[in-house]
Amino acid sequence: MAENKTYEKPLPDFRPETKPYWDACKKHELVLPRSKTTGEFFFYPRAISPGNDMSEDIEWVKASGKAKVWTYAIHYMGPTKAYKNDPPYVVALVETSEGVKMMTNIVECDPKDVRIGMDVEVVFDDVTDEVTLPKFKPAK
Amino acid sequence: MATSIPRVKEAREILKKNKIVIAGVGETEQGKIPDKSSFHFLSLASKLAIEDAGIKKSDVDGLVTAFSLVEHTFMHCTTFADYFGLRPRFFSSVAVGGATAVWMAAEAAMAIASGQAEVVLCVRGDNTLSGISSSGMVALIREMCHAEFEFPYGLTTPGGYALAARRYLHDFGATREHLAAVAVTMRKHAALKENAMNKEPLTVEEVMNSRVIADPLTKYDCSIISDGGAAFIVTTEAKAKQLGIKNPLAYLWGMGQGYSHQYLTTLRDLDQIYNAINNSGQRAFQTAGIGPKDVDVAFLYDCFTITVLLELEGLGFVPKGEGGPFALEGRMEIGKDLPVNTHGGLLSQAHLGAMHHVVEATLQLRGAAGPRQVKDSEVALVHGNGGIVSAHSTIVLGKEPLS
Repeated sequence: MAENKTYEKPLPDFRPETKPYWDACKKHELVLPRSKTTGEFFFYPRAISPGNDMSEDIEWVKASGKAKVWTYAIHYMGPTKAYKNDPPYVVALVETSEGVKMMTNIVECDPKDVRIGMDVEVVFDDVTDEVTLPKFKPAK
Repeated sequence: MATSIPRVKEAREILKKNKIVIAGVGETEQGKIPDKSSFHFLSLASKLAIEDAGIKKSDVDGLVTAFSLVEHTFMHCTTFADYFGLRPRFFSSVAVGGATAVWMAAEAAMAIASGQAEVVLCVRGDNTLSGISSSGMVALIREMCHAEFEFPYGLTTPGGYALAARRYLHDFGATREHLAAVAVTMRKHAALKENAMNKEPLTVEEVMNSRVIADPLTKYDCSIISDGGAAFIVTTEAKAKQLGIKNPLAYLWGMGQGYSHQYLTTLRDLDQIYNAINNSGQRAFQTAGIGPKDVDVAFLYDCFTITVLLELEGLGFVPKGEGGPFALEGRMEIGKDLPVNTHGGLLSQAHLGAMHHVVEATLQLRGAAGPRQVKDSEVALVHGNGGIVSAHSTIVLGKEPLS
């Protein structure tokens, strides 16, 4: 998917603390941050655990890649001109088996067939040479 | 959901002692007005509020502003002070999205109660409809979601509210009609207000059959964008008397905030939103010494139809999941159980955050709302919501001093 020159949609601008996440995505691995102090996963990634432990001792754990759709919105209008030909597309909040929520797109599925509670699994979309976005498709 | 909230008694004593009031209001024309700049609208609204109070500009010694989506400044209050020619003793810019207007009143009250100022001008306005650039609009959408973990998936602001709406419909078996009914009521009320943008009657079917923006929300589930300004003047009863202000005063009885999340990614469930709304409302209610049943007229932030249902329920006006039928039965209309947004709200009148909600609440308590007047309205509640149902603020206003 070498669409480097043509990909005009918003891209994430990495922070030092989020870089490991995006590096893993690039290798088609979903990793989630977990506080070593409490053993709790959290998302989005932060440099310091958002729990009361305030720990900087954070480990990256390979995720199952399995999730359930918690809610979704079928977009008929995108946020920028680059989305002109995309609608309808599905933006969803999924809850991973590790218990965190992630914003994503549900792909490889007719928007009409998406349901709350539906089992989905991660797929990786290499949108540019630098950025791979994890997305979710219906689980087999 | 009611829990004991710290320092409510102290807050009540402070408001009883200071008798903080809204003593003047002003609103400019609302609509598509391309020949006026953001600071022009702010100046006009300020002038109207000062004139409405019947005071001199030099009597104003405090200034609370918000932010602009068009004029980029990180010292908004002092930038406006310079433009308008004010040298306030106290100045502050409040920037909590749609929770801003309500909290501007609270910010003014806190400044007065702590001796920083006596007469605080609160003003917000913008030429959002005519003045915002396409890159500014994209920046605004980006601001409403996580730039790194949400925006790359094409989430829009209506999309964010559609995510909340879809889950709400799922959890309570609510329907699209329930959402649409909110828009219909707002439109009915806007028809009674001269300074309203959209007044043509609207039916539930028309809302449901309008262009889908982010399923389950259609065009009429979404608020409008407008150019305009509005202002109000916060002072004390004693100072208002000293200045010879003749307007009936609207007394501040209570105020509160509640926070749920900034990004939907960190939202656990809908209860987290309800709790934030409830925390905001309960602090205001408990300070005022009243409950939802005592409110005669409510002003609920209505950026999208779903927002109103969540607020009705979170504030305790109706049980969870029952906001939809309440709306569909027309019980938010003037003359019914709980008149909501008698001016037509953000969905039909104009979108200036909740500035018009505060202005209209004041007019209702003055008995000056004309054809929209709610009979015997003595207690009004105004609730603001910023982000994607993230940050909440509530004030309770009374026709008489807090006793």
